[in-house]
Amino acid sequence: MPSESHRDEDLFESQYIDKYLSEYASVSSIVREALPFELLATVGGVVAGIIFSGMTAELEMIPGLLVIYPGVLGLRGNISSTLGSRLGSAIHLGLITDLDRHNPELMNNISGSLILSVIVAIILGFLGHFVTLALGFESAGAFTLILICVISAFTSGVILSFVAALLAIGMFRFGFDPDNVVTPSIATLGDIVSMLMLFFSAKMVVMF
Amino acid sequence: MGILVGQILNSREESLISMPAILILIPSLIKIGGDTGSMLGARLSSAFHMGLGDNLRSNPVVHNSVIAASIVGFVSSISVSILVFLASSFLGFGMPFFTLLEISLIAVVIELSVVYSATVAIAFASHRFGIDPDDTVIPFIASLGDLVGVTGILIALHLLNIL
Repeated sequence: MPSESHRDEDLFESQYIDKYLSEYASVSSIVREALPFELLATVGGVVAGIIFSGMTAELEMIPGLLVIYPGVLGLRGNISSTLGSRLGSAIHLGLITDLDRHNPELMNNISGSLILSVIVAIILGFLGHFVTLALGFESAGAFTLILICVISAFTSGVILSFVAALLAIGMFRFGFDPDNVVTPSIATLGDIVSMLMLFFSAKMVVMF
Repeated sequence: MGILVGQILNSREESLISMPAILILIPSLIKIGGDTGSMLGARLSSAFHMGLGDNLRSNPVVHNSVIAASIVGFVSSISVSILVFLASSFLGFGMPFFTLLEISLIAVVIELSVVYSATVAIAFASHRFGIDPDDTVIPFIASLGDLVGVTGILIALHLLNIL
């Protein structure tokens, strides 16, 4: 009877939903899975903060540096997490097996993310300068801010792309799913590396 | 949005530079809202894709995810204040632990309540209008987390008469 089988299906579905909800949507299971990663991310944030607090001299010397700092960090985190996720998918598809400079899939992903970071960094420095001026604050000049943005975005991009590729390939070899490991670790590491590179590029610009 | 956050920080530059402990606190504290909000957004949109998102009030997925995200947020903010206290006293510009804890808790309460309401609202609205919530929630919430986080920290500093 068609109606009966339909009822069976409904019953099965509602049982499935109940089981699903009790496993997937219980408060304790979410907290158990999310808390360790969040705590790890806060450790990364504090390390980034320590570097940030060491930059007070540069912050005073380069007006406008404080304005671009959230942008540089956000840019780095977004682009590198996307790269990590793309590499994970490519590895699952079997397109990347080794850290090989002649692999077009790997090199296209990395160069694409680097080009994107440079373009966004230029826009960021430009916006940072003009918005600061428009609000009546002092700025170190568009060229200085763009230079700092581009240097820090490019260098941190090179480091993080290399780490992301190494981590994704290595984790896959050891039987982990790169999707679960690469994005959270790159997001945490990304803050530290980009803060460090922001610090160095600000120091370089101050010197010249 | 990043530039906007920077401008808010810039307007308080002098007082922030004089308090390095707050500078350590900022990057990690503003990340909590964006991180847990993105997690909440991803969970809500997965639930909608599976057809579990019919009404707002009595929905266990929405309810439990918000509670769980708040627990994660609060525990992380307490751990942030402990870590910042240790780091800053180690570096020699210590602030009293309870001041740091108060700043983080006030900032996190403001941040989480704004970010989570926005997450639930955007997820439901984009589901209603037929736009995939996966595409709309996370990019917006990550930047909103930074913005509200910085505002929350400054409000906390004002409430405690530190600024």
